[in-house]
Amino acid sequence: MNAGELILWRKLFSCATLCDQSGASAFSEGLLGTPSVHEVTQLLRAWSAGDQNALEKLTPLVYRELHRAAQRYMARQKPDHTLQTTALVNEVYLRLVAFKEITWEDRAHFFAVCAQLMRRILTDWARSQQYLKRGKGAPHVSLDDGLVVSPQRSPDLVALDEALKALSEVNSRRGQVVELRFYGGLSVDETAGVLKVSPETVLRDWKLAKLWLLREMSGGKQVEA
Amino acid sequence: MEASRLRREKQSRVEQLIQEALELEEQQRGEFLERHCGGDESLRREVESLLAFDKDAPNFMEASALQVAAEALAMEAPGPLDVEDKGQVRSIGPYQLLTRIGEGGMGQVWLAEQTAPLQRRVALKLIRWGMYDDTLLHRFQAERQSLAVMDHPSIAKVFDAGATSEGQPYFVMEYVSGIPITDYCDQKKLKIRDRLELFIKVCEGVQHAHQKAIIHRDLKPANILVVEIDGKPVPRIIDFGLAKATDAGIAGESLHTRLGSFVGTPGYMSPEQCDPAAQDVDTRTDVYSLGVILYVLLAGNLPFDTQEWKNKPLDEMLRRLREEDPPRPSTKVSTDRDTSSATAEARGTEPKQLVSVLRGDLDWITMKAVEKDRARRYVTPSELAADIRRYLKNEPVIARPASVSYRIQKYVRRHRYSVAGAAMLLLLLVAFSVVQSVQLRNTRRERDRADRIAEFMTGIFKASDPNEKLGTITAQELLDKAAKDIDTGLSKDPELQASMMHVIGRAYMYQGLYSRGQSVFERAIKAGTSAGLQESREIMNTMHDLAWALQEQGQVAQAEALERKTMKMQLRVLGADHPDTIATESELGFTLCQEGNCAEGVRLNQDVLGKQKRRLGPEAHYTLVTMDNLAIMLAGDHRLEEAEKLQGESLEIHLRVFGPENLSTINAMINLGEFQRDLGRFEDAKKQLSQALEIEGRVFGPDQPETAATKYDLATVAAHDGQVEQALSLLRQAVDHGLPPLNALNMEKDPLLNSLHGDPRFTALVAHAKERAAAVQKAD
Repeated sequence: MNAGELILWRKLFSCATLCDQSGASAFSEGLLGTPSVHEVTQLLRAWSAGDQNALEKLTPLVYRELHRAAQRYMARQKPDHTLQTTALVNEVYLRLVAFKEITWEDRAHFFAVCAQLMRRILTDWARSQQYLKRGKGAPHVSLDDGLVVSPQRSPDLVALDEALKALSEVNSRRGQVVELRFYGGLSVDETAGVLKVSPETVLRDWKLAKLWLLREMSGGKQVEA
Repeated sequence: MEASRLRREKQSRVEQLIQEALELEEQQRGEFLERHCGGDESLRREVESLLAFDKDAPNFMEASALQVAAEALAMEAPGPLDVEDKGQVRSIGPYQLLTRIGEGGMGQVWLAEQTAPLQRRVALKLIRWGMYDDTLLHRFQAERQSLAVMDHPSIAKVFDAGATSEGQPYFVMEYVSGIPITDYCDQKKLKIRDRLELFIKVCEGVQHAHQKAIIHRDLKPANILVVEIDGKPVPRIIDFGLAKATDAGIAGESLHTRLGSFVGTPGYMSPEQCDPAAQDVDTRTDVYSLGVILYVLLAGNLPFDTQEWKNKPLDEMLRRLREEDPPRPSTKVSTDRDTSSATAEARGTEPKQLVSVLRGDLDWITMKAVEKDRARRYVTPSELAADIRRYLKNEPVIARPASVSYRIQKYVRRHRYSVAGAAMLLLLLVAFSVVQSVQLRNTRRERDRADRIAEFMTGIFKASDPNEKLGTITAQELLDKAAKDIDTGLSKDPELQASMMHVIGRAYMYQGLYSRGQSVFERAIKAGTSAGLQESREIMNTMHDLAWALQEQGQVAQAEALERKTMKMQLRVLGADHPDTIATESELGFTLCQEGNCAEGVRLNQDVLGKQKRRLGPEAHYTLVTMDNLAIMLAGDHRLEEAEKLQGESLEIHLRVFGPENLSTINAMINLGEFQRDLGRFEDAKKQLSQALEIEGRVFGPDQPETAATKYDLATVAAHDGQVEQALSLLRQAVDHGLPPLNALNMEKDPLLNSLHGDPRFTALVAHAKERAAAVQKAD
């Protein structure tokens, strides 16, 4: 069993346990207008095959997850008690997608599609937020005393997307590493499984990509990555 | 081709250098690059420009994109994402919003037009941002089936639930064009009898829902609307099933969030809903809320003045809801002079008449429905309705006045926080457990006995507390009174007398009043013996406790002799494996250790521990007590490492099983702290002892012997650690705040305080302590 398979087993297992408790059955019944898990999987396939209508149907689902996550931030009492990245995104997958329906060959592709989807939707969302703020004439940055987020921790998603495009042009695998890890929420090992490279390679790509992206976003000199 | 190859080579060189440079300290990097880039300036610039971001890299993109966006959203949009009333038509699914008809803590309510599959007017409730979590709709879905089977004229139907495209959940309900039940009754000036008849219909509706296993959880006048059908008022209960879906999720969140959701209508919440620790809510919660509604229908005001609470902290408010008893409805009317004539007028009567109508049955019915202890409430809404029907038919109601033992419970509840010390609580709790176990047996003799205890106990309170100002009486005064009264009060029943004396003696012991404890124990044994009960478990246990009292006062040899005698009796009467026998064996070991024979004490208690682990289990209370004793004896036998290890195990179990605010847990902490001190681990010791002190201060109050003894312990740690000032300050506090006389008198010779010897301040403190101890002993 390779690393990728192990991860998948883990996810399937957690799905089996989580789905029973959190009532994934509600989804499979097509709860209140929410597409079923099966439908979501179909939509993801359709979107990756180029069907733009699928994106329109998927966007509200991701928005809902976004709001759920945001709400947990708001309910959070201690600022140092951060959510666990992978847990959060994995939960989104569990909610949105029926793992059991996806064959093993599909899975690497599936993670890639999910990560792309998250990137696309979240970037669009961030862009719309920027328009919204400019439209309202609100200050560009608002800092709440209780929720100060350092700029390094919370990069500008729109600028990051641009920088990532540039990175992918000079080194496509490194771009994929960032996409899978940052947007897809995959761990180093999981990313290695999807890309069929060693975890060491992923880690090295990740480190160098971060430096490169930071320089790119700071308006620094553009040189080969 | 050549150019691209060169570029790739350069790129891999750059990456190689970065990898290596990252391994180095920052100040070494310059030299490293100098060495490896040679004269290639462009290579060096490239590497340096990337390395410059190394300090930002660790945090960058560590949170996932979803998390980043969520954080941003949480920061930027703290307000509700409710539908803004801008006059434009807005649709949610097949519902077209028409006008906003309400706004409350939970969200907005809209009048909406359903377009498909059928056209009808509905009420659409948008749940406020922050009032729901991601499982809300799932939970609602789970309840949907049961909601669908509810079919009762008094219940408004819930049709649907869903979420807007932004993820905001909503509920769709039958639109009821009515007004809240209390407003309706006042506007129509309904008489008490008519109000009761309308209220019975409400009870029937709630009963119907309960039969379908649905609890409302948020019953209040605003959720009980009255419409007129053929000129007759009909109640319609709205929001059935919603509170569970919304509240259950919030309950898992922080208390803060929960409290936030409470602010709206605290007056109608049951005590168990106000208790963050209480998780379960059942049908009796709805009975309580119905009781409050009945209260308001009758008396015109909430049982508690929630207006007054608006300026109080929320937890204070919730505490009062949990603990304070409201006045009876008739009392409420007669005392609220400002409002009583308006209240009476709205009921088509005069204040005096209203008071006399309410007094008696209606007071009792209402008070039974709003009982703090749900076990004393009506179990179902139909029981409540039935009792009201009995009243309407002039039959005796079941909500008759409380019994004697019930009255003392009221006393305790009322004075729970005003009387100092744990002694009274213990005394009363034991008395109640006797009362309750006795009542269960239900023979005439036992019931009489229960009443005698109850009367005796209430007698103590009444006589010492003519103005119900028990707060000024100390636990000791109370105990003294009990000890004095018991000779005469229960002389007809020596068995009961002996067991009550035993209880009082134990209460003295917990107060640190050992010689008083001794004297009451001796009297108990005498009373028991005169009744021919010298070999009863009760009396043998009292002997055991008498030995404890002797031991605490330093009379170790007498204690040992008594324990050997007791154990001999117990071995004969109860056998070697009986818990009482085991307890005495353990105590005997402890006494032996005090006499200097800790090796024998350890041996006895290892035997005890083995038996208890087998018989009671490894986490039973007494098993833990023995572990603690054994640890002390191990330490006495100079086996400190073993002692510390055992005590640590014990504390870990204590915290898990009993939690921190528990006498045994605190003892385990203190003992562990002492072992750590003796092992020279002063920081660990201070941590343990300070924690224990903090809990003791909270639980017992600052002036208790236990708290003072722990301060003394902390002082010994400071003294060992060479912190003379701190040690002296702690000692002074201990002496001035109830340090037990034995500790105070031995302070001078305490080897743990050796480092303070020769300090004149210590000498003065010793003298002061002796004076205090002498004064205490004289009073004792």
